[in-house]
Amino acid sequence: MRKNSIPRIILTVILFVMSLFFLFPVIWMLANSFKTDAAITADMNSLRAFVPPALNGSFFENYVTVIKDTDFIRYMLNTLFYAAILIVAGVIVNGLAGYALAKIKFPFRERWALIIMMLMIVPSETIITINFLFVAKMGLLNTIFGYILPMIVNPFNIFLFRQVFVSLPDDVWEAAQLDYCSPVKYFFTMVLPMSKTVVATVSVFTFLGVWNDYLWPSLVFTSSDLLTAQIGLNSITSNDNTTMGQTLAVITMITIPVIIIYALFSKQIVEGVVSTGSKEG
Amino acid sequence: MSFIEFKNIEKQYPGADKKSVTDFNLEINEGEFIAFVGPSGCGKSTTLRMIAGFEDITGGELYIDGKKVNDVLPRDRGIAMVFQNYALYPHMTVEKNISYGLKNMKVPADEIKRKTDWAINILGLEEYRNRKPKNLSGGQRQRVALGRAIVKNQKVFLMDEPLSNLDAKLRVSMRNEISKLHRELGSTTIYVTHDQVEAMTMADRIVIMRNGVIQQVGKPMELYEHPANKFVAGFIGSPQMNFYDIILKGNIITFADGNTMKLPDSVIFKLPAQQGEMILGIRGEDIKLDQQNLDVFSENKHSAVIENAEVMGNENNLYFTFGGSQTIARVSKYEISGIGDKIDFVFNPAKLHFFDKNTEVRYV
Repeated sequence: MRKNSIPRIILTVILFVMSLFFLFPVIWMLANSFKTDAAITADMNSLRAFVPPALNGSFFENYVTVIKDTDFIRYMLNTLFYAAILIVAGVIVNGLAGYALAKIKFPFRERWALIIMMLMIVPSETIITINFLFVAKMGLLNTIFGYILPMIVNPFNIFLFRQVFVSLPDDVWEAAQLDYCSPVKYFFTMVLPMSKTVVATVSVFTFLGVWNDYLWPSLVFTSSDLLTAQIGLNSITSNDNTTMGQTLAVITMITIPVIIIYALFSKQIVEGVVSTGSKEG
Repeated sequence: MSFIEFKNIEKQYPGADKKSVTDFNLEINEGEFIAFVGPSGCGKSTTLRMIAGFEDITGGELYIDGKKVNDVLPRDRGIAMVFQNYALYPHMTVEKNISYGLKNMKVPADEIKRKTDWAINILGLEEYRNRKPKNLSGGQRQRVALGRAIVKNQKVFLMDEPLSNLDAKLRVSMRNEISKLHRELGSTTIYVTHDQVEAMTMADRIVIMRNGVIQQVGKPMELYEHPANKFVAGFIGSPQMNFYDIILKGNIITFADGNTMKLPDSVIFKLPAQQGEMILGIRGEDIKLDQQNLDVFSENKHSAVIENAEVMGNENNLYFTFGGSQTIARVSKYEISGIGDKIDFVFNPAKLHFFDKNTEVRYV
């Protein structure tokens, strides 16, 4: 360890400087989200732009204004709700599909897997019109179900599950059969708990996908009661009465959950993605 | 009536040009400990998996406790199984692993507790009951797998090379534990192994398989003393039996290297009309180096030079070339010979085995 300490220090310094470089816009955003527009303009050309104002009675004013005068909290809660439903539904549906492709023998299984993998390269924007028409024909526009339905199946998540399930030992399933475990029960009580990492990875990716999605909810939802955070962000920031400080406060509020998720699950995200490329995973 | 009955059981995998198991006929009595033994690919595990219901039976009929089970689901066959890789549920504790099946069987909670405690106690797992499998050693994991099997009180235990992942020392102690457990529970057990020592030491009867075909079924000493063919003779026993290509003319054996040996009438008597080329087999311990045997069988005394010696502690294995074949003599620890030493030896004529040159079936 001692032998490596100097290169290690150099590496740490380099990484620290690089992380500052990437964090610079975030720090700027955070610092200015507490300021008035006048203060933001005044600090623009100095290092004070990266320093929040002194803590006083009006420190959180931009945030209080956004929370009081807009429905942004509601939009965030809506998005959290949609994300929760999609995580549960996505893990079940994509997980079952991944399990079938990994473990159940049926004709042309490998070709089906290949077709599903090929779907990964199709950009979601190219099928959004079809999805919209499909949802509209079913009379599901402006409903939660209409928003969620086309988002449940995700080829990438199926691929992730399949790659992990392939490496699950078959004899555990055989032992479970002798323990009177049904296939469905096996999936929920054995397969998913044995694959926590990929479940966490898929959940995080699903959450981020829902949280950051703008196009699909903007097409499906017209009722303000159902809007998501990204649409709320757009409507608030494009309002002429919204100040720069309030805009930055909204952006901060929408960014924080993403940062928390990454901070909490970065290990699982890396492990999950790495494990899908390795049979031993 | 037999408890498990195989009637012309066959297995052929889709796309395979030959059968993995061919015309397998066997009757197993209730409470018996049967070992399926043979080299890799002989069909022993496939047969076990057909009993479990994890492989389809492509021909023949299988009966357990009088009921045909060809199309019965694994869980409804009344079997418990111990797997080679333990197949424990990695996210469950020892206690939950053992009790999982009982819970699915809707056994009352107090009964589950009683049975789980009994299994944990009998297998010495008390201090590990709240540990997960990853925090257990190989031997402890194997005990949990055994616990999971015994707790359900099934009619038949299937064990698929359960000790193959353990080190040599642990294998011996687990062998003893499994035998003890079998005696205590009295359950019908089918044990698959490629290790003939495990089969010999544990089983009431051994089924030896090769290329999907039963070679011989019998008690351990029957197989050892009276192997049905050269394959069985070579498979059972360590070191393996020595084999020689010979020509028998009258009562004289001529080995490939020109050495000869006169057979006593008692042996010739057992070989009616069998003359000409054949294979002679003799076990290492039946090659005698001690003076008493050299005196008794003096007219058949031969000499050789030791090429290698394995000192085992309780005995020695001496390697030398004789009769055109590598020969291993198993001698007592007191009969020490070094590499390069010349030794005199005789074959105990009462322990000779003769096999047909073509079919390799044993004459006597």
